[in-house]
Amino acid sequence: MLRSASAAASLAGAAVVWIALLGPVITLFFHVTPGTVSSALRAPGALTPLVVSLEAGLITLAVLVCLGTPLAWLMARGRLPALRLWEAGVLASLLLPPLVVGLLLIFMVGPLTPIGEALGHLHLTATNTLFALIVAEVYESAPYYVLGAQAAFAAVDPRMEQQAALLGDRPSRAARRVTLPLAAPGLAMALAVAWARAMGAFGAVIIIAYHPYGLPLQIWTTLQETGLASALPFALVLLVVALPLPVAAYLWSARARGRRRG
Amino acid sequence: MLEADVEVDRREFTLAVTLRVAPGERLALFGPSGAGKTTVLETIAGLVPPRRGQVVLGGRVLTQTSAPRRAVPPWQRRVGLLRQDPALFPHLTVRQNLEYGAGPHPDRAATERLAGGLGIGGLLAARPARLSGGQAHRVALGRLLLARCEALLLDEPYTGMDSGLRRALTALVRSLAADRDIPVVLVAHELAEAQAFADRLAVLDAGRLLQDGTADAVVRRPASRRVAELVGYLGFVPYPAGGEGAVAGVHPERVVPGDHAGRGLVLSGQVRARHPAGAGWEAGLAVGPDVIWCRLPEAPGAQATVTVLDPPCFGADGRLLPRATGVSA
Repeated sequence: MLRSASAAASLAGAAVVWIALLGPVITLFFHVTPGTVSSALRAPGALTPLVVSLEAGLITLAVLVCLGTPLAWLMARGRLPALRLWEAGVLASLLLPPLVVGLLLIFMVGPLTPIGEALGHLHLTATNTLFALIVAEVYESAPYYVLGAQAAFAAVDPRMEQQAALLGDRPSRAARRVTLPLAAPGLAMALAVAWARAMGAFGAVIIIAYHPYGLPLQIWTTLQETGLASALPFALVLLVVALPLPVAAYLWSARARGRRRG
Repeated sequence: MLEADVEVDRREFTLAVTLRVAPGERLALFGPSGAGKTTVLETIAGLVPPRRGQVVLGGRVLTQTSAPRRAVPPWQRRVGLLRQDPALFPHLTVRQNLEYGAGPHPDRAATERLAGGLGIGGLLAARPARLSGGQAHRVALGRLLLARCEALLLDEPYTGMDSGLRRALTALVRSLAADRDIPVVLVAHELAEAQAFADRLAVLDAGRLLQDGTADAVVRRPASRRVAELVGYLGFVPYPAGGEGAVAGVHPERVVPGDHAGRGLVLSGQVRARHPAGAGWEAGLAVGPDVIWCRLPEAPGAQATVTVLDPPCFGADGRLLPRATGVSA
């Protein structure tokens, strides 16, 4: 009796926390109607921020996968000297407030800096361009991907790679046939979190890439110019765009892990 | 022929081992934990670089530290290593695991024949998580065989399995090794396992090869007192005929009740303690200041005479003395 009462209390407590965490999303659905969303999205140029966000988000993911994955593997396998130093470097952009990251990026890659000038030779500008938006999103999301991918690689038993080598696979082939498939569920989750962070990036973006607007800045400017009610439909659009990938990654990871457990 | 003559630096000692294993021959590398047995296998497999030495398999130089230096990477050695954890790839089916090292176009019929022979023919579509320990080991073994390994290295693969399964797998590896005519090295820290498997026993202790010979010769005529201790001699009694400090080794399974002078060393004493052992009793017999353990039914307090059959005797330096029998102590 006492045990079942305690179990019920635990369940109720967990439900309260769960509802509280999900509260903002539930609230959103009470305050937008299909009509308000439709009229907001039909306004001239209303869909441009959505396209910009998707474009920047996808390029950010590509950058993270290409540069972050090898770094995460090297960190997971202890192939780098002074590992803590590398981890601290990755953590830096996570620990710094995004607004500060944006400010510092201006001083690092702004047009009057050596890096900015070098980018100029490549016809790139790291302020108020799509390129700048991508730079800001990479800085805001990279630690989530790299640290998640590092954990995913670390969870792969090195003896699996060793066994693949003894069965005739050179390291690159063993990585393709064993390491990556085994780390894939963790990598997918890391990528999903990074995607959500990139799509919602705001702090660094507002400093370094005010134009072109992505969805978060669209919400912010609409809120400033026409009020809360007008901003809500764009918040819903951001949710609808940002959530499917994490949800799909979560479901796929759970299924892949389940299959391996038999 | 697998030939290894290597020295490997370890934290506690430098491992120095010379081995030759002929095609179809089975060698058991036997010794206590931490003796360096696994390091020997990993050096042959190319996972651990030796400080000095050479590894040759079927005439191919795999490792050579002298000029011209050579270190063939593990993926080009064609050496199979099976550990206690069979390390099956959990994301692949049994068939995919079996065919992992069989090249881009594996012979599916050959896979099915081998799987049938290993008793896992009905599991080809299953994932490793669904396999029992014995089935997983059969898959791991089949995977090495389909990868056309030219030498098999088995690192205590049956630890933790029940004795029936262990016997079955040992018999399976014996017959497969004979069919394939490849050298096999088994690492074992249990003598019975090593004896059941191998033609030859190499005793390793603290990085040194103490003795290499047939299992019977090593157990009956240990080259030194240390080898005798490792292969199960539990007591050592003085053997005056061998000179000062000489002792005779007493193996509990080579002691018979009664005085059989001429067949070995006759010992008399009082039974100090007794406990059940298998289908009978094991008793501690006080012989002078020493207590030797042997199979005896007598209760504590009783006087008993036993004969240690053809015991190995060791000089004060611990080395084996020439054969001595019929000596009463």
